[in-house]
Amino acid sequence: MHEILRSPTGLTGSVLLLLVLGMALLGPALAPYDPQQFHPAVRLQGPSWAHPLGTDQFGRDILSRLLNGAPTTIAFGLGATALGVALGALIGIVAGVAGGWVDSVIMRILDGLLAVPDLLFTLLIVTILGGGTGYAMLAVAIAFTPGMARISRSSVLSVRTRDYVLAAQARGEGWGWIVGFEVLPNALSPIIVEATIRVAFAIMIGATLGFLGLGAQPPSTEWGLMVAEARQFMFRNPWMVVIPGIAIALAALGFNLFGDALRDALDPRGRS
Amino acid sequence: MDTLPTPPVLRVDGYTLDYATPAGPVRALEDITLAIGPGRTLGLVGESGSGKSSLAWAIMRYLPANARENAGGLLLQGENLRTMTPQEILRVRGRRASMVFQDPSTSLNPAMRLGDQVAEVLVRHRGLDRAAALAEGEAALARTGITKPADMMRRYPHEASGGEKQRVTIATAFACQPALIVFDEPTTALDIITAQGILQLFRELQEETGVSALYISHDLALVSRIAHEVAVIHRGRIVETDMPARIFRDPRDAYTRDLIAAVPRPDHWLGVAPPPPGAPALLSSEGVNVLYGAPSPLARRLGLRGRPHQGAHEVSFDIRAGELVGLVGESGSGKSTMARVLSGLQPFDGAVRFGERRFTHRRQFDRRYRRAVQIVFQHPDASLNPRQKVGRILSRPLKIYGLASRAERPARVRALLERVLLPPDFADRYPHQLSGGEKQRVAIARAFAAEPDLVICDEITAALDVSVQASVARLLIDLQRDTGTACLFITHDLNLVRQLAHRIVVMQHGAVVDSFDTADAKAPGRAPYTRTLLDAVPEPAEALGGGEADRPARKELP
Repeated sequence: MHEILRSPTGLTGSVLLLLVLGMALLGPALAPYDPQQFHPAVRLQGPSWAHPLGTDQFGRDILSRLLNGAPTTIAFGLGATALGVALGALIGIVAGVAGGWVDSVIMRILDGLLAVPDLLFTLLIVTILGGGTGYAMLAVAIAFTPGMARISRSSVLSVRTRDYVLAAQARGEGWGWIVGFEVLPNALSPIIVEATIRVAFAIMIGATLGFLGLGAQPPSTEWGLMVAEARQFMFRNPWMVVIPGIAIALAALGFNLFGDALRDALDPRGRS
Repeated sequence: MDTLPTPPVLRVDGYTLDYATPAGPVRALEDITLAIGPGRTLGLVGESGSGKSSLAWAIMRYLPANARENAGGLLLQGENLRTMTPQEILRVRGRRASMVFQDPSTSLNPAMRLGDQVAEVLVRHRGLDRAAALAEGEAALARTGITKPADMMRRYPHEASGGEKQRVTIATAFACQPALIVFDEPTTALDIITAQGILQLFRELQEETGVSALYISHDLALVSRIAHEVAVIHRGRIVETDMPARIFRDPRDAYTRDLIAAVPRPDHWLGVAPPPPGAPALLSSEGVNVLYGAPSPLARRLGLRGRPHQGAHEVSFDIRAGELVGLVGESGSGKSTMARVLSGLQPFDGAVRFGERRFTHRRQFDRRYRRAVQIVFQHPDASLNPRQKVGRILSRPLKIYGLASRAERPARVRALLERVLLPPDFADRYPHQLSGGEKQRVAIARAFAAEPDLVICDEITAALDVSVQASVARLLIDLQRDTGTACLFITHDLNLVRQLAHRIVVMQHGAVVDSFDTADAKAPGRAPYTRTLLDAVPEPAEALGGGEADRPARKELP
């Protein structure tokens, strides 16, 4: 952790991430209004003392909605990514370590899946499984799997033929040790960085699904859904789009910078 | 220094260079003064990190952004390179001064035909049109001894061998008849026989064109064979400049003496006493065959035929307990394939006999065999896991072979480190914090930690500087003397192996072509290929054509 905070990138990422996670944990408690309460007198307002980030088309307080939406949004992004990365990394590592025909068969199937665009793939899964936040998360995770598997596999392959892995094989080490202690620690960096980038994607795909009526349903305060709902009123109150948009961007940036710093901190060669 | 009859082509005067780092400036070159006359070759010799490449970059004006030139002049034919504008520098590079890099496979553009790469320089600097440049380029290639230059012009870099590629880069460097060519270790990435050809070519072309050359290398013996003058650089300072013969005969600086002592001399025996005659073999390779690129069962069924390549063909040799056997050959001769077979990394046909046991398949090698036969790889950077501390790397063999309990391990690791002459507190370091030679010592310690009967050393000195090579070889011999371990020493350096090995096995194209006692290396019955290898690395004394008086007295093999 000390290593991460030393670089400017790591520091910025950590601060942003802390902010976002703080919102996710404490947001609902800090919200000044009930996120679903209508204030018909002050619809589509810009920032003011009473409503620091303005109000939406029903006069609901945007700050309160944003704070209430944080837990679901972040949980969705993290959950979908964690699930997708775990599944993809597992498949990729198996393919990379096993090699031969196992590798060929797994990778050809994944290549077929990769040819389908992420969003289309997600839609397909949601259509089969049914809508709702839980299924949307699962769908995003499954859509991420082929890409993550490919990245994990190439990372494992590049390490697998290094001399220190051969040395371990020549020593007569078991497969568990070779994969867990020789290959994985050296193959993890690209997987971690890719995962942190994908958190932001997951939030965006979640938003799109919400917009299409297949993910979170109104009156949920999920950030993506907030952007989607605000689209109609974009010209009358741009704040409605900008505020949740910035929140999503900051969360994405935080995860991304933190991921970069984490990769550097995990590499002993980077330390002096 | 000799008096030069004509003004020098390159003159470096009191040149000093620093690199700015977060921890303050680091001095790379200090008060460098040298001069190269027309048609002369100056050999610049030093170990890695001595600043010799920094000087090459400075002359070619390719310095990185954090370089700070503090003092001194770099004069090419009397013009100061330091005060030239970037436009003027562009006219100098390639036209009046060019450079040949160490590794031809990375210095050529893989997406361009070789002919276009040679012609590009001629179009750029001599204003020829494309057809004329191609014709001129073909002539340039012909001069470098390439047999079918027209054919070579149409090839891409991956379609040419390492030696051919280096000939193309040399042809490119000579193409515009520059006044000065900087050679940065041009033969280090090539195997010995090819390197020998390149050196020969260098000598011929230099005589023919009268170009001046700065030849940079870590190998004093090699430089002495081609340079008119040798400058020895150590920690950014030139410690000595003299004629090669005089440097060998009468070195004045202590560092130069160390360098000379490190040059392998086959008549200077370092190895341990040989095992008694008639001792039984410890390990035997019995008709081992390795086929690379054999088609998979599916491909065979589909009627696809790859072109399999025979990595080893009916290879048989044996190693007795306590013996050091040298396995010699150029790259691609199959010597590393045998290292992989014997350490259980490569599937094979045939048999490996170890003591009373006979193995006919890779899977039969069990932990008992693997403990007894250890391997040390060529590149210490690659063979140590960058994410494990040295202590952990060394305690691993102790753990898996059950040689020490958890409580005993730290002490054993310290003892191992001391045994390879490293400070015991290196146990807490990561490999990247060590130098190349130190890393190789750790790798050797790891092999000996298993208390093996046989250690396979796969080119363990090839990636190291000559000065470090000698100390690593000496360490290996000391360990062998203390433990009685046998050793299969794989190398392409015949001078080195003749100092260490009791017997030498020569491989070519995957087969054993010769096998003899080290003392008989020069005997008349040697295979022609063995003789080619021996001729490719002249002994230092032969190379200098004299200086017999100061050679150490010949010690006969015991």
